[in-house]
Amino acid sequence: MLEIKHTLCPSCSVGCGINVVLNDGEIVGTFPYKRHPVNAGKNCLNGRNSIDCYKNKFEDVDVDSLIGDVSKALNSASDVTVICSGNNTIEEIEAIKEFADSKGYKIGFYADNLKNYEEVASYEDIENAEKVFVIGDLLYENPLIGRRIVHAKQNGAKIFAFVNSEASVTFNIADECFNDSVGEFLDAVGNNIDESSVLVFNQIDAAEDLDKIDALNCKVLPVFSKSNSKGALGILEPKSKEEMFELLDNTDVLLVFNDDIADELEFDFSKISKIFSFAPCADETTEISEIVVPIKTWLEKDGSFVNAMGETQNFNAAIESDALSVIEVIEKLNG
Amino acid sequence: MSYVLAKSQNDDIHKAGECGGAVTSILKYLLDEGIVDGVLAISPCDDVYDGVPTFVTNSEDLMKTAGSYHCAPTMIGDLVQKYLFDKKVAVTAKPCDMRAIEELIIRHKIDKDNIYVIGLNCGGTVPPVAGRKMIDLFYEANPDDVVSEEIDKGQFIIELADGSEEAVKIHDLEKEGYGRRTNCQRCDVKIPRKANIACGNWGAEDGWTFIEINDEKGQELIDGAKKAGILETKSPADPAIEGRKKVEGIMIKMAKKIQDKMYPTVNEIDDWNRCISCYACRDVCPICWCYENCELNKSFFKDEQNIPPSPIAFQGVRLSHMSFSCVDCGQCDDVCPMDIPVSLIFDKLQKKYFDRTGYVAGVSDGTKPPLYSPEKTEL
Repeated sequence: MLEIKHTLCPSCSVGCGINVVLNDGEIVGTFPYKRHPVNAGKNCLNGRNSIDCYKNKFEDVDVDSLIGDVSKALNSASDVTVICSGNNTIEEIEAIKEFADSKGYKIGFYADNLKNYEEVASYEDIENAEKVFVIGDLLYENPLIGRRIVHAKQNGAKIFAFVNSEASVTFNIADECFNDSVGEFLDAVGNNIDESSVLVFNQIDAAEDLDKIDALNCKVLPVFSKSNSKGALGILEPKSKEEMFELLDNTDVLLVFNDDIADELEFDFSKISKIFSFAPCADETTEISEIVVPIKTWLEKDGSFVNAMGETQNFNAAIESDALSVIEVIEKLNG
Repeated sequence: MSYVLAKSQNDDIHKAGECGGAVTSILKYLLDEGIVDGVLAISPCDDVYDGVPTFVTNSEDLMKTAGSYHCAPTMIGDLVQKYLFDKKVAVTAKPCDMRAIEELIIRHKIDKDNIYVIGLNCGGTVPPVAGRKMIDLFYEANPDDVVSEEIDKGQFIIELADGSEEAVKIHDLEKEGYGRRTNCQRCDVKIPRKANIACGNWGAEDGWTFIEINDEKGQELIDGAKKAGILETKSPADPAIEGRKKVEGIMIKMAKKIQDKMYPTVNEIDDWNRCISCYACRDVCPICWCYENCELNKSFFKDEQNIPPSPIAFQGVRLSHMSFSCVDCGQCDDVCPMDIPVSLIFDKLQKKYFDRTGYVAGVSDGTKPPLYSPEKTEL
């Protein structure tokens, strides 16, 4: 039986809609979701490949036994850190926080070295800006935000861009290009930024860059690499890269909830005695974990994400599954 | 080829249908008689702007597909070939859907014996998100209050929950960058004559569907549905036939005028420098069916280092492979994250191919695809 179902793309914080195709009860492909206001049916390659997580999900195992082993290890553990991320839904993040707080565990939450802004520019603000300042190769890395920058250009806006690489798609539409450092870019264009401007960024080089951004007189839009980083920022305090390293240095047992932290941070994880992962499919972190507890993929659960511009977006499971959700795992860990 | 006017004998279907409910009735007949395993048609999901291809196996569920949805620029050709190849199916098809199906039939990706195509005459489709914005900007109504829409007599007409209607000339909307998708504006195939039957309201009396019967299978459909007691037919009067012909003629003339205006702009396009090599245009194209065997995946064409890719190495390869079979469905435009007007280039080349060979993709008769090579099948 062929079915097409609406859901949200989990591959970054833009919040694009995507349709998944089910045939005889299996997810077999994606299909453009043209009614979705964020992306009007357009998805980047990462978005279209996001169903691979479902296709490569862990086989069924004796989850209760694995969770029992994790619980046993936690009973005698000290210096436990819980890694939570924007890959988790709002509901999961709340449950993870409550769990960590009740047990006295520290929480490590990394949001691309960026931070929360209460007021952010909307995607329409980008299109209507007179000047758009871009930090990062947004056209390539977050194409459905990049598209709004293209629209701004078509509407007559002047585009100023900083990208590390000397060649980038974003540079191809920019009026002025910079590639030294984010700090130097902000210094160079700062005087040009006014209320008619929007600053869009998905990276910084150092914490001081955030201070410089704070001092600007324009709307800003940080774009995160994970679907619900913005939502997580409303619940958890983010840590900088240096703070994450410090936290990990002081960690004996690490509980990782659906986050490939080993891929993201260049840290010597062999220094940590035990790593337990709760993940839907294999990644670098599950490779180095002592125990991996399979959990639902995003296609198998209900929940909500908050996109980069602060809109809460609810989604329903596209397919039923016997796998446990993060919330169910925590209930079991709590006994 | 022959013509009939038809309407449903089922009151609910007659009421729910766009013009007499003939299409839904024929689909019901096919399902109830077990002639097909299922029906692939469009039904609104969240609202009237959200038309989604829906596979129906129980005729009681057909009501949700009744009516016409112009804010549903979908393509069903690839769904049929990817997921329904081994099933007996009936589909509703706009001219571009039908053209894609025909191109896939001649490539043996769809089995002609397994498919019934109920063609739908088409004046064009409107992008859903831009369509809502268009209603917000050019109509008095709130887009959320629209319960149905139609394109008739050069106007985009919306109907509200209270039964009132509002209309704006499509020409005026398109002048402001709204209205139909750009590929629809230049499309000169308005009636899907490769379908078994082609249905619509052009030339029809109120409450009736005008049907062009294109082949024996189409005649069997009409005869069968009548025999099953679900369809009533009568012959259209000559003025009705002439009226329909006139509507089609005017729309084609307008499309050709737009083609003359749009095609020269291809030379000015510098949008390729935004290409991010995401392959969305290739992956959505109903004619591109090679998938893993695609030449673009081969080491000699793989160009992952260069973003944007050389237009010759990426689009050039695609153009040389299938532009002669482009059915101008506009799906590549719809899915391009960078809004590159891909279909304009492919369609322009198809027209050049037509000028030299007379071949119209998905319309001309032929047993082999253009530039057919037996070696290609071994890839």
